Amino acid sequence: MRAAPWTVALALAGVLVGAPSLSAQTISVVNNGGSVADAQREAFFKPFTAETGVEIVEDTFAQELAKIRSQVETGSLVWDVASVTAINDATGCEEGLFEEIDWSEYLDPADFEGVGGFGKCGVPNNFVSGGLVYDGDVYAEDGAPRSWADFWDVETFPGKRGLLYRAEQTLEVALMADGVEAAQVMEVLATPEGRDRAFAKLEELLPHIIWWKAGAESMQLILSGEVVMTYGWNGRVATANQSNDRNLKVAFEAGHVSGSQYFTVMKGTPNKEAAIDFIVFASSPAPQADYAARISYAPANEKAYPLMSEEALATLPSGHLDKASYQSGDLYLDFWLDNGDQLLQRFVTMAAQ
Amino acid sequence: MTSLALDPPTGPHPLERAVRRSERRRRLVALLLMAPSVLFAVAVFAVPIGLFLFRAIENDGIPQRLPRTTAAVQAWDGGDLPSAAAFDALADEILALKGTPELAQLGRRLNYVVPGYRSLMMGTARRLDAAQVATLDAEATRARLIEADERWADPAFWMPLKQQSGPLTTFYLETALDFERTPSGELVSVPAERAIFIDLFVRTFQTGLATTVLCLLIGFPVAAVMARASGSLANLMLALVLIPFWTSLLVRTTAWVILLQNEGLVNKTLLFLGLVDQPLQLVFNRFGVYVAMVHVLLPYMILPLYSVMKGVSADHLRAASSLGAKPFMAFRTVYLPLVMPGVAAGSALVFVLAIGFYVTPALVGGASDQMIGYFIAYFTNTSVNWGLASALGAILLGLIALIYLVLGWAIGLDRLKVR
Amino acid sequence: MAARSIRTRGERVGRLAVLAFTGLVLVFLVAPVFVVVPLSFTDSEILVFPLPGWSLRWYEDFFTNPLWTGALYNSFAIGLSVTVLATVLGTTAALGLHASRFRLKPVALGLLMAPLAVPVVIVAVAMFYFFARIGLLGTFPGMVLAHTVLALPFVVVTVLATLQGFDPTVVRAAASLGASPLFGFRTVTLPIIAPGVVSGALFAFVTSFDELVVTIFIASPRQRTLPRQIFSGVSENLSPTVTAAAVVLIVVCMSLMIAVELLRRRSARLQGKAQ
Repeated sequence: MRAAPWTVALALAGVLVGAPSLSAQTISVVNNGGSVADAQREAFFKPFTAETGVEIVEDTFAQELAKIRSQVETGSLVWDVASVTAINDATGCEEGLFEEIDWSEYLDPADFEGVGGFGKCGVPNNFVSGGLVYDGDVYAEDGAPRSWADFWDVETFPGKRGLLYRAEQTLEVALMADGVEAAQVMEVLATPEGRDRAFAKLEELLPHIIWWKAGAESMQLILSGEVVMTYGWNGRVATANQSNDRNLKVAFEAGHVSGSQYFTVMKGTPNKEAAIDFIVFASSPAPQADYAARISYAPANEKAYPLMSEEALATLPSGHLDKASYQSGDLYLDFWLDNGDQLLQRFVTMAAQ
Repeated sequence: MTSLALDPPTGPHPLERAVRRSERRRRLVALLLMAPSVLFAVAVFAVPIGLFLFRAIENDGIPQRLPRTTAAVQAWDGGDLPSAAAFDALADEILALKGTPELAQLGRRLNYVVPGYRSLMMGTARRLDAAQVATLDAEATRARLIEADERWADPAFWMPLKQQSGPLTTFYLETALDFERTPSGELVSVPAERAIFIDLFVRTFQTGLATTVLCLLIGFPVAAVMARASGSLANLMLALVLIPFWTSLLVRTTAWVILLQNEGLVNKTLLFLGLVDQPLQLVFNRFGVYVAMVHVLLPYMILPLYSVMKGVSADHLRAASSLGAKPFMAFRTVYLPLVMPGVAAGSALVFVLAIGFYVTPALVGGASDQMIGYFIAYFTNTSVNWGLASALGAILLGLIALIYLVLGWAIGLDRLKVR
Repeated sequence: MAARSIRTRGERVGRLAVLAFTGLVLVFLVAPVFVVVPLSFTDSEILVFPLPGWSLRWYEDFFTNPLWTGALYNSFAIGLSVTVLATVLGTTAALGLHASRFRLKPVALGLLMAPLAVPVVIVAVAMFYFFARIGLLGTFPGMVLAHTVLALPFVVVTVLATLQGFDPTVVRAAASLGASPLFGFRTVTLPIIAPGVVSGALFAFVTSFDELVVTIFIASPRQRTLPRQIFSGVSENLSPTVTAAAVVLIVVCMSLMIAVELLRRRSARLQGKAQ
């Protein structure tokens, strides 16, 4: 008998909580997590909700396109808007995973010319540079690593290294370590010999590598001293330094991999209008300037620059533009479109040894 | 009518009938009580698992998306190149899929068989023009396809269309065991540099076995001491074993990451004691995986051992030694056979749980420490090769079922209870 | 005493060594739990010992940050729904299994227990495919159904265990005294099996509250649970808030499991007395 009222109470509770938040419209936005999520929450999500009343549900992923494929192919979307890399924008667009939208109806294409214009499906949002990250308090200026060859030099710089568990970007870095100039990396990688060369270089360092998947992990590894150097993205480094009062540095002169992150609308979402509204909002000058100030990723919309303070502008990476392997252009996109899956498979096999 | 004749005199006594009727009703009630949960388990557990296993042999996508091409290729002997009709059908079917997600899916499906197939499909679709192809005859279409991509002149890219045209395929199971088909259809082992799955199974078994042995070596003396301890002390020890048992596996794994990392408590202590002069790499490698897995699984070893050992009276051992047996001899010939069911149950439980692990190695292991569970997740979430994920799962499940069967036959399944 | 005196010195040393080893193993078993708890009270951003100072700031973060409160809410909502569903299904199943002797009984029992024997990652992936196909992926009902499958065996086992000591003649006695089956169940059967049912319900709640792997595969961010949020915390950004969340998880699960243990002992005692 005693159990009866108790069960009824639970059943009621179950029914009550079973139908939460039916009132407000929500859209789900997925990004790379960690400090990127923090900055997007403050610069994009909260102001957007305040302006439109549309709630944002956040999720994070490490750019595994497969997570988007499985949602679209099974017709069960959990995300509405995805923040993706250039190659994921292009691949996903070709595979019909993202909505093809004529963004010039909503935004002025001229504002985005500086970062190469609109993507195949998405809108560029911010510009990211991935480079060689080390702790300025561990290596003083004169003893600091200066090149990717130094990154591979475990004699002079003993300790583990963090590298991105992804073929794209990591193979580029491996070629730079093998002496290829940043500007030539894609040309070399496009040849079968170049690919073998990149893999051979990675295998050389394999026992010393700790792989990471999410940007926040890379910072966790170097802040905790688990690795002495890591590949890392400049905005992550800036926010890690800020919130932990540390002195991490990016050796841009070693060569870096740079490109835009794009906001895309998932194919078939019932919230397409709200998703477009959100992307337009996040691409407008004021939120763009706010986001850049928070995480030091350069804004994609040129109209954001005049809105930024001198201090905020000073934190953006500048110089060493000649040392970049760009994640844009036909050579880059065609190569990764054709070889992405295959190289990822080979990469995973190599890393699992 | 005949029933009438057979009625009262020889029929059952009314009381017996009443008992039977109530028995029948009782059975019906029991059945009705069980029905909802059994139906639920079938619908939400058995059916999903069945469909999952079926995926390992289902030929998804090729015959469905290229019906005419796969039919036309059947006439081909595998020697030179398929007929022009096959080329013609292929061009039509690629053009029909152009611009839909299905083309990319088909390309990806074929890419599992022959690397490069995805780009071949997408590139061909990009270069072909429907209006132009419509004006060509079969021979010209063949030339046009080979012009669009010369790989169409390579029989290796036609072979999967011939070999995998039926509703079922053994392709995924073959891949999961590191086999592949030659262009002529022969089954051969894949070259060493691409073979990963046999290694993966070996690694999974090694990890499972090492964890089991470690748990047994650590758990046996502990369970023995617990079994001999007096009431309140035994209760305290039992509580200490149950605390981790009741603590989330995730929390415990997290704790090990915190404890074992470079700046963690263990390394700090070692440095402080001067035992090492720079932090040891204790996590994100095999060592970390063993520590965390042994920690998670140790209670599963200790509890069955403890319950069996508690039933073994100390008198047995004393009797043996009073008969002149040396302690080791008494242990081996008297104690060990008596506690063997506990050893077997604990070891089987730990081993079976260990080879299915996913979360713990994912959090405390490196890329080279991952087991089958990780790759099932990887091929589901990161690579979307669902057939391969299912094949790996089916093999793992088959092995586990085999272990249960052997054990059930050897010691009786009902002994495989934790408590 | 006499037995102890005839032990040799070597045996005594060996015995001490085994005892010391046992002590070390027990410390090894509980250490992680007792490391996480103090760390959650640190006032530092990083997880180091000795604690620079004590503070509740991470609990404040936990209980005010919508990511964490949302996760806690989802965990309770899903957990309570699972508890209701699994308890009802599991209790009726146990009553049916106990009352029946038909040939397929082991099959039914095996089917209900099977989710415990299959590696959870396989269950998770299988449900992922299945739920995607029928539109339950990333939905609240989907999560409840999936967790109920995992919780059901525990309810069936605990209720069956209490029924082992239950004499069905009592029900027949009630019936012979004119009690309707439902009345008989409510006044006779239920009070006897109540501890088992409550234990099973608690087990079901803990199973869902603590579940991670299936959640990783089938939950959308709208059903993000506490373990799922801790998991992203560990793999992305191991902040002290993660340890505070872990402590909340420990406290909820462990207090419920202690309740289960107390109930088990109480009913064992009661059954012992009855005999």
